[in-house]
Amino acid sequence: MYILETKDLNHDFSGLKVLFGVNLQVKHGERHAIIGPNGAGKTTLFNCITGTYKPSSGKVLFKGMDITGRTPHELTRMGIGRSFQITTIFMNLTVFQNVRLAVLSKRGIRFNLFRFVDKMKDITEETEEILRRVNLIEERDFPASALSYGKTRALEVALAFATDPELVLLDEFTAGMSRDETHAAVELVRKLTEGKTAVLIEHDMDVVFSLADRITVLHYGRIIASGTPEEVRSNQDVKDAYLGDLEV
Amino acid sequence: MDATTAMYVSQAIHGIAYGMILFLIASGLNIIFGMMGVLNLAHASFFMLSGYFCYQVLKLTGNFWLALLIAPLVTAIFGIVVERVFLRRMHAFGHLGELMLTVGISLVILAGVKFFWGTESLPIPVPEALQGLIKIFGLEYPIYRLFVIGLSLVVLLLMVLVLYKTRLGMIVRAAVSDRDMVNALGINIPLVFMVVFGIGCWLAGIAGVAIAPILTVFPGLADQVGMDAFIVVVTGGIGSLGGAFIVAIIFGFLSSFGIQFVSQLAPVLMVGFMALVLIIRPHGLFGVEE
Amino acid sequence: MKDKITKISLWLMVAMFLLAYPKLFGMYYVNLFVTFMVFAVFSLSFNMLLGFTGLLSFGHAIFFGISGYGTALALRHIEGIPLFPAIGLGVLAAVILAVVLCPVVVRVTGTAFAMVHLAFGQLMYVLALKLRNITGGEDGIGNFPIPNVSLFGLFSFPLKNNPVNFYYFALVILGICTWLMWFFTKTPFGQIQVGIRDNTKRIDYLGFKVPESKSVIYVTSAFFAGVAGSIYGLFHNLVSADGSLNVLVSFTAITATLIGGIGSFFGPIWGTAIFQILEELTIRFTEQVELVTGIIMIIVIMYAPRGFTGFLATLKLKWQLSRAKRRG
Repeated sequence: MYILETKDLNHDFSGLKVLFGVNLQVKHGERHAIIGPNGAGKTTLFNCITGTYKPSSGKVLFKGMDITGRTPHELTRMGIGRSFQITTIFMNLTVFQNVRLAVLSKRGIRFNLFRFVDKMKDITEETEEILRRVNLIEERDFPASALSYGKTRALEVALAFATDPELVLLDEFTAGMSRDETHAAVELVRKLTEGKTAVLIEHDMDVVFSLADRITVLHYGRIIASGTPEEVRSNQDVKDAYLGDLEV
Repeated sequence: MDATTAMYVSQAIHGIAYGMILFLIASGLNIIFGMMGVLNLAHASFFMLSGYFCYQVLKLTGNFWLALLIAPLVTAIFGIVVERVFLRRMHAFGHLGELMLTVGISLVILAGVKFFWGTESLPIPVPEALQGLIKIFGLEYPIYRLFVIGLSLVVLLLMVLVLYKTRLGMIVRAAVSDRDMVNALGINIPLVFMVVFGIGCWLAGIAGVAIAPILTVFPGLADQVGMDAFIVVVTGGIGSLGGAFIVAIIFGFLSSFGIQFVSQLAPVLMVGFMALVLIIRPHGLFGVEE
Repeated sequence: MKDKITKISLWLMVAMFLLAYPKLFGMYYVNLFVTFMVFAVFSLSFNMLLGFTGLLSFGHAIFFGISGYGTALALRHIEGIPLFPAIGLGVLAAVILAVVLCPVVVRVTGTAFAMVHLAFGQLMYVLALKLRNITGGEDGIGNFPIPNVSLFGLFSFPLKNNPVNFYYFALVILGICTWLMWFFTKTPFGQIQVGIRDNTKRIDYLGFKVPESKSVIYVTSAFFAGVAGSIYGLFHNLVSADGSLNVLVSFTAITATLIGGIGSFFGPIWGTAIFQILEELTIRFTEQVELVTGIIMIIVIMYAPRGFTGFLATLKLKWQLSRAKRRG
């Protein structure tokens, strides 16, 4: 039983085909990395899964349920979280307010117009708890726009996890980070994904091999290999496709 | 030819003439929007200003053709100065600032024309050569309206040539269809912005001179015609030249035939048409989502 | 604790000043203050969209105007209708209009949102001018009966031709509106609202319904604009297309909000006050009101894009920095 499955997923942008019959299979509780050169369609695949785009054809299954074409907010409520390659946070709100929005959503507090949000103690506590877990508690009252790049990315990841999803999709959470920042981010993601299923798009092979339980290789919109790191490493197709571009 | 047909034809000519003038203004708005991402709310004020320049040139020289040449040019130069001094500095602060800045500029222009030319409506005589009616196939046409249509077509042709035959036109078309392209093309953006803004104002200027003998020149001109032009742009889809053309002609007809048949409700026809379009397509007939 | 005492005593002083205001100043200034309150609330309702949700409307007057007409029509045609139901009917008209427009406006943002409202504003304006039988055309609806203020027969005092009573009446109603709007921004939903402004995509990905949320904000904003419009009609005992539906009415709110600062809740109140004071001074010295308004707008946008409250915040920051420096 897979937690996430795509069946023969195709997508094209007004004629330009990006995904060709992708069959992705993600097992319960694993950390699954999707790798592939730029333009392989990795982010498009994410967008088709999480409802940014409606795929041209094919199906997306979450816990066996057909979720093709569902909107992002429906998917979030079903237990899917997502972080973006391009940071998608609330720049003019404080770090605390950023995460608190996610906590409000998780608790189903949406159209509440009858209470001071600042006086909701349980919300505040839960938000602070999350901030501690992601090491942002010291920056609690900073506006998000004042954070360092690494911390901005940490907040991005925190927002994906703060709704407590069963499945998270992380789109290059280490993008643009320094060595040290990358190392810290990997440890953070390792900690946060405990007991969850995660799908990661990643370019940094060190990150891939230190985190991933299984790897899927996407090449020009097609899956050319999928399996454990060892299997992928020794796969001839992968070696051919990359032509030594990456030291696999 | 009976009287009813004659009336229809004459109303149609009026409609097309007004539609073409609306399109001249709207196309200026659209190329500026396509290039800079800003709807220039002072555009109608430039249009009005050109009418006043026309009045001034006529007063000094008495030559309409000279006015037709000079007034739009001065308007374009004025527009370029505004772009350089005000809008350019605001570009970094986002569209809200630019949008409201153009509102401020239109207020200053309004105060300016009242100060220099007063609040009276100033008549502009139709040049002698274009006065009266012309008979074609037994039908009488007002010459000046035909001239306005012809002038607009010439300007339109000119614009199509510039858009499709020059490098500038290529850049503008790319920018109108996808604004991110502007940055990707690696062109001299400040210069192109300036030229495009100038051309947009020139188009408004031509319209201002062309309409002056029909409507006279008065401080409310910008609001009256400008509002119609903005409605044309919104209904056609912001940034869409083809949409603006179609809607401008429809509006010209609605306006001329509306006055003929339901004179009280003619303005309601136009805004009603627009409301209908926007309810079905909030981005306008040919607009795309931002 | 000390902060709280300072705060409470400050608010008490403000309240006492507002209560004593009609005694301290003449009739002219009492009326001026009512106008100020009406447009402050109207601008606050406008800023719910612009400042707190990132939606710029060029036609917010449609709600202001339709509510004014609604109240005036109710008072004119419904025999013996009490004051509050009449206001309620006007506001209801604004809310219904907002609900009808919602499906259209939540689909657009940015310039399109602004221009769609300009268009609808123009439609309403033209309709108000042309549907003479209902709206009275250019003359509007004037001199309609205004019932006494009364609540369950507990008290009753007259408003018609009584500016001081009207002042207190407007103060209470518009004061309550201001507090409610402020409270709105402090609720959990108020957080979602600023979230939509900052990053609509993330709000969607956090599991909130964006169009529905926008609709709630839009209708709420229309509600408060409606209250302001209804009070404005009562105040002048006249509702007209040029007074309540003109595009200039919409622009008054935009200008006040920009001058005051879009980033702050109280910005529009400051802006309305500044705008009105400037207008008063201008009228005394020159006929060129447009010129002054235009120049002020240009200066504010170019040199103080965050408006008066933003300017204050910068000053405060500088002061704190210099104090911190002096301390070492």
